[in-house]
Amino acid sequence: MAEEAEAILEVGGLVKHYPLTQGVLFRKEVGSVRAVDGVDFTLRRGETLGIVGESGCGKSTVARMLVNLERPTAGAIRYKGEDITRLSGRALKAVRRNIQMVFQDPYTSLNPRMTVGDIIGEPYEIHPEAAPRGERRKRVRELLDVVGLNPEHINRYPHQFSGGQRQRIGIARGLALRPEVIVADEPVSALDVSVQSQVINLMDRLQSEFDLSYVFIAHDLSIVRHISDRVGVMYLGRIVEIGTDTEIYDHPTHPYTQALLSAVPVPDPEARAHRERIILTGDVPSPTNIPSGCRFRTRCWKARERCAQEVPTLAVPLHLGDPAGPAAHDSACHFAEAVSFGRSAPGQTVLPEPTP
Amino acid sequence: MLLEVRDLYVEFRTRDGVAKAVNGVSYGVDAGETLAVLGESGSGKSVTAQAVMGILDVPPGRIAGGEILFQGRDLLKLREEERRKVRGAEMAMIFQDALSSLNPVLTVGDQLGEMFVVHRGMSRKDARAKAVELMDRVRIPAAKERVRQYPHQFSGGMRQRIMIAMALALEPALIIADEPTTALDVTVQAQVMDLLAELQREYAMGLILITHDLGVVADVADRIAVMYAGRIVESAPVHDIYKAPAHPYTRGLLDSIPRLDQKGQELYAIKGLPPNLMDIPQGCAFHPRCPMARDVCRTDVPPLNEVGEVRGSACHFWRECLNG
Repeated sequence: MAEEAEAILEVGGLVKHYPLTQGVLFRKEVGSVRAVDGVDFTLRRGETLGIVGESGCGKSTVARMLVNLERPTAGAIRYKGEDITRLSGRALKAVRRNIQMVFQDPYTSLNPRMTVGDIIGEPYEIHPEAAPRGERRKRVRELLDVVGLNPEHINRYPHQFSGGQRQRIGIARGLALRPEVIVADEPVSALDVSVQSQVINLMDRLQSEFDLSYVFIAHDLSIVRHISDRVGVMYLGRIVEIGTDTEIYDHPTHPYTQALLSAVPVPDPEARAHRERIILTGDVPSPTNIPSGCRFRTRCWKARERCAQEVPTLAVPLHLGDPAGPAAHDSACHFAEAVSFGRSAPGQTVLPEPTP
Repeated sequence: MLLEVRDLYVEFRTRDGVAKAVNGVSYGVDAGETLAVLGESGSGKSVTAQAVMGILDVPPGRIAGGEILFQGRDLLKLREEERRKVRGAEMAMIFQDALSSLNPVLTVGDQLGEMFVVHRGMSRKDARAKAVELMDRVRIPAAKERVRQYPHQFSGGMRQRIMIAMALALEPALIIADEPTTALDVTVQAQVMDLLAELQREYAMGLILITHDLGVVADVADRIAVMYAGRIVESAPVHDIYKAPAHPYTRGLLDSIPRLDQKGQELYAIKGLPPNLMDIPQGCAFHPRCPMARDVCRTDVPPLNEVGEVRGSACHFWRECLNG
């Protein structure tokens, strides 16, 4: 999409380490959990950036830092050029108004003792300048209507709604302050298949209606492909590959991305036979003890001497030739290699025409 | 037929009324066959499996009708002691959440060995040796050392392997796997599914795979039964169903999968919400959400119509659906 659109969020060298301590009286640091370990990306206006990765890769921690629920250990998050990690007080509050979050679990992210009207209207209590007191109830009704809920239900409680409806309430709350950026952390993974697409369509519609930029975090690769303009793949606290959806899904160059894509079950029994699967061995290493050099090398079938010594940088691999080709996008691998994913890539499946 | 469920009804009595979880389900599995039971939450797929295993919470649950024939015997007519001999030894279950299905205060060796002590009357020492052997089978590295460890010392994928080992311990004829890989990451999910499929082939077991993931189904199943509101709405060999679904609900599920040629467009979405089990709609339970619904759908419950020799569809208009 719009390559020239202005950058609305610029993330550089983002790091979050949680200290591990021992002892009660004399706490001493014995190590750290390196949840996020150097992440860079840019989010442009009106764009959706998908972030995929397995549990523990740090994608949720990145989300929490973007909305300032968590302070980074190092690095910068620039919102329209201003580093929000250094802000406090009034200036921080003003920025927070523009970056809102939608959470994963619609069952625990809504207060069961508050009515839907109070939940969606709560942002106005914190940012009273966003809407005059007398207007708020009306605004909440409008928001309910926008997300496809009945405005008459404003006095109901969360338990009176289904999972999909609750996620709509969470989205309405995220929209209340008319933010520019919405960070959605696994917004549909707790929902049933038939309800997932309703919520995805809603988010798609709201994006054009309110000119929103999304950071969309999920582990479902076909949904991420559907909604994203660009996709970043995270592994153990770092982005290992980032590019447009076609570059990542059809021309992945990082072995982890290739393995991840090939492992996703494809809903097409015909593809069973000519599917080439890369099955990784072992588990993700602990973020307290990250391997030297390339952090993926312990599970990588291509790993060589160099991978243990040298940390690969996230850049366009020069040896792949054709600088305009689809394989020319940022990939953090010494031995990045272009492969073409055929019909077995997730989100690629085109179902056969029904035969009578 | 190894297992045959016939016209099963299960209901739950609650304070607010009776929830009709399973409403006349029939399905069968042969030895060596994989049947996928596909459905969303509340469709009755897990409750049916619990009834087969005999681990339904009674009360509030109650089997209100039907038969469960396992190797020719009706399990519902057995006394509880006889049922216990079947459970674990002849049929076993793998649960979604391995961490909460394993006992946190016993070593995995003790839990695996317990199967042999209880069912086979082995000594603790022999049982321990068997446990190591099983852990090797499911490819847990350094089984000899790890047999003394507790569940929390294993990763999610390894724990699910232990669950599989436990289910396999007595070489049952039937395994029921309830969302065995839902809690796992994609790369680990592939490892576990592969292992399960391989072991199933090796032992020629019947496998009932309960899932909501159309991708997993396409990868491993031979047949599919699609459930909605406690009934089977479509049952067919896996290739047929993906090629041309014969029920509008199945079609809706397949159409909601994001596809490349629809990028930038609206995703197909089944309108409305799954039904409340206390108040299942009259006639066809799917009619309020169905794009093909007509008057007859509001009044008459559709039977499972025969679609060719090996397929069934509970839709009045299955012919139209099949033709797109």
